[in-house]
Amino acid sequence: MNDAAEKPKPNWWSPEIAEEIRQIRYEYHVREFGEEMARINFLPLEERRREVAKIYDHAKARGVKFDKPAPGYTR
Amino acid sequence: MTYTELEAFYHDLVRRARERGVTCAITSGMACVHYGVAQTTKDCDLLCDPKLADAFLGLITETDLNGAMPSYRGNLSPPLDRRWLEGGWTSHFVWETEDGDGAYLDIFGVPPRASAPWEKEIEGFYSSRHTVAEMKRTDRDKDWPFATALGEQMLEAGDEQGWLHVFDVSTLLSLNRSVPPPLALQEKRPVLSLLADTNPDEIELAIRAEKEFWHQLDAVRVKVLKEALRPYVVAVRKDPNGKAPSLKTQHEVRLEKAKEVLNPNALTDYGHRRMAEEARERAEKFLPAGSHPWLPDVSAYLTDYSDE
Repeated sequence: MNDAAEKPKPNWWSPEIAEEIRQIRYEYHVREFGEEMARINFLPLEERRREVAKIYDHAKARGVKFDKPAPGYTR
Repeated sequence: MTYTELEAFYHDLVRRARERGVTCAITSGMACVHYGVAQTTKDCDLLCDPKLADAFLGLITETDLNGAMPSYRGNLSPPLDRRWLEGGWTSHFVWETEDGDGAYLDIFGVPPRASAPWEKEIEGFYSSRHTVAEMKRTDRDKDWPFATALGEQMLEAGDEQGWLHVFDVSTLLSLNRSVPPPLALQEKRPVLSLLADTNPDEIELAIRAEKEFWHQLDAVRVKVLKEALRPYVVAVRKDPNGKAPSLKTQHEVRLEKAKEVLNPNALTDYGHRRMAEEARERAEKFLPAGSHPWLPDVSAYLTDYSDE
């Protein structure tokens, strides 16, 4: 299996351009998902997984059902 | 079960499957969590090489979760078998634990709307951002922001395919100011050529056309699959062994009924090109005149994975 993360970068890429795009990304997350989810989405991986786990476990403890249908196909 | 425990269970399943030579990867909601576009889900959507369906079924059959053994979930699930995975079907499994909780695993071999072999682009336990983003072009509005967010990430990492997944006008214009999209991608996604003129209204209209087309394409695909499923569901429901305790027996029933009445190639027999044309006609009813030039070139998405 090839790791997709190992792709070579194009000529236009630089840390400065990446930071510009990161800022654009963050603004989109705030607009679309709200400030709290934007904060969580931009955490390092392990912290993010812990936060998502907390959200899920809290919701489940309050009776939220996460079941979804089993229709025989994937949307 | 906690989310962490569920995640560990699915990761272990993938690890053990790969040890047996099964190419597989977690996708959809759990992949989005991993990639930093979180959504709450307990289900695991998993891509599996159709050629190794039997091996994966063998692994599932011997895997327990806190003492609970797996079952097929519901009467609609096709059997986990190469023929049906290659045809674009999904098999659903559940481990129902004593606390009333459970783990849901959905397995398929062909990601909807995929333009490239998913097996060649895997990141750790997960299918690539590109594969996940393509899958998010559904007929449900709630899925599209995830495609945009993944496309943005790809661009930040220097992967220009990210341009194919951004469906927010403001974001597209902002990104274009940092780095314009390459000409090669504009053929695949004509909307990108509008960024040079930076007319937000025109871009908005074009994106609406794109999204309406993908909505309709997904709706047509689902319609074809639902119609093909009807006799199979009736047949499985009628067989008392469909709900037998043993997964082996459940599988035998489903395989028998599927061979009789479930066309594994319902989508290719209907015709991918026919589906695309139908989607285009339906989309054009909802869009202003003149928006059709911005509909995407879907020839790259019309691969028939059952051809080897």
